[in-house]
Amino acid sequence: MKTKSQSRAGYYFVVPTVILFCVFLIYPMLNSFRLSLYSWNIMEPMQFVAFDNFKTLLQDQEFLSSWGRTLQYTLTSVALLLVISFVFALMLDSRMLKARNMFQAIYFIPVVLVTPAVGVVWKLMFQTTGILNAGIFAPLFGATVPWLESKNVALYSIMMVQLWISAGYYMVMFIAGLQGIPEEYYESAVIDGASWSKRLFAITIPLLKPVFLLVFVTSVLFTFGQFALPYTISQGGPNYSTELLTLFVYRNAFKYLKVGYASTASIFYFLTMIVFSIMQIRLFSDKKR
Amino acid sequence: MLFPFIWMILGSFKYNKDVLSVPVRLLPPEWNFSSYRNAFAAGPFGRYYLNSVIVLVFAVIINVVTCTTAGYGLAKFKFKGRDFFFTLILSTLMIPIQTIIVPLFVLISQLNMVNTYAGIILPLSLSGFGVFLMRQFFYGVPDELLEAARIDGAGEFYIFRRISIPISTVALISLTIFHSQYVWKNLLWPLVVATKTDLRTLTVGISLFSGVFFTPYPEQLAMSVSACIPIVILFMFLSKYFIRGTAMTGIKG
Repeated sequence: MKTKSQSRAGYYFVVPTVILFCVFLIYPMLNSFRLSLYSWNIMEPMQFVAFDNFKTLLQDQEFLSSWGRTLQYTLTSVALLLVISFVFALMLDSRMLKARNMFQAIYFIPVVLVTPAVGVVWKLMFQTTGILNAGIFAPLFGATVPWLESKNVALYSIMMVQLWISAGYYMVMFIAGLQGIPEEYYESAVIDGASWSKRLFAITIPLLKPVFLLVFVTSVLFTFGQFALPYTISQGGPNYSTELLTLFVYRNAFKYLKVGYASTASIFYFLTMIVFSIMQIRLFSDKKR
Repeated sequence: MLFPFIWMILGSFKYNKDVLSVPVRLLPPEWNFSSYRNAFAAGPFGRYYLNSVIVLVFAVIINVVTCTTAGYGLAKFKFKGRDFFFTLILSTLMIPIQTIIVPLFVLISQLNMVNTYAGIILPLSLSGFGVFLMRQFFYGVPDELLEAARIDGAGEFYIFRRISIPISTVALISLTIFHSQYVWKNLLWPLVVATKTDLRTLTVGISLFSGVFFTPYPEQLAMSVSACIPIVILFMFLSKYFIRGTAMTGIKG
């Protein structure tokens, strides 16, 4: 009797949210598979084309390079992020440092800023007469860097901004991990005469393996979906050199109105990330049973 | 680390000719105090700001309500299909809004919600991660606490409101802060779904003013500062929660 009313209450709590999730997330995901089989420009009736979109997409040089570029952008950013945010965390973890909270806050501020605003600021700083060139590179090296003008440089310029807005975030995750390591481990290592680097490689890094994995997975997912930075800083240019996958989808769907085609590209996005998404879900649900 | 942030603030007080002038001057040679007034007066920027506030408030309220109720239901009740529902919600972590932007737009236009607040708000208010977070939190709340109230004859919704919500303030604040950032910063979805000037949000406005329209640099920077300053101030007062929220997504659980 009592359990029955309780299980009914359970449904009341859960079902409304589940319905919203089904309508606004799960249904669109399933629908993207259907849309990918059609050619459709929103105005005219949909035309069934079977797998033509997939065939065209896999021969579309623009798509293939956008896809490869996004992978390159993601993997390079993530590799650098892992190192930088870990080093920041080590620097701030020294337990004697009184001002740690202040430094942690300073490193975290870029994380909370509004991404398109960050884009506007860096876009101005990247100009030929902007602060990076006119303030640093021209006086020190006598040359300017074509941050956004060169198609070989622009992607790395945006990557720099990507690192700036996310390093503090992963740093905090590492600090949380570092604080979870019992002090005694280090004390006994010190007694045994282990050097700082020995302690780092024998204690800290092995014990932080789960944190490294989590940072790796979450940063891959976050970076791969980057849209606001390339959109505000370079609009995908010059010569498509900063067109990430999200921009490719956006342009095809909402500028060229190729709805089916863009859906097909989204499916590639989904499939590229699926291993990482599943790893993320595993990591989340493994801890704390 | 803070240099671009400081440069942004100082730049918003410069005159247009001084922002990118050579030789570089960090401090404004002459202070310009009109860029903020111009930014809000010229064009619909004030309107964009208001729209962002509206979207933020409603999206966060819906998010907190859905995450809390569903998280509570999943953690504290046993019923058929519970594990299925939980898996279903967790599986939405695989579909960030970027991956479903096209079919989502199709759905919203079929519901006639393009260029409406509801159309902007609803997709931004759901978060599988938030449900997961609240479920984990309530999982740690001892059952005896609720059992005692049940013996006293309290109804389930009364218990939820009077016992479960009050003990979860810290988790609720963290969730609110976490999700507010997501909504306030989001560019892609409002860019796609709000094409009328009256409904554009701050992030869309900022990218338009810097790209399409000709806008003087100090005004661009003033808009950027105005967009960032509420979160930065919130962060200064509640940095503990920002940091805790982040660490929570990490290993501490």
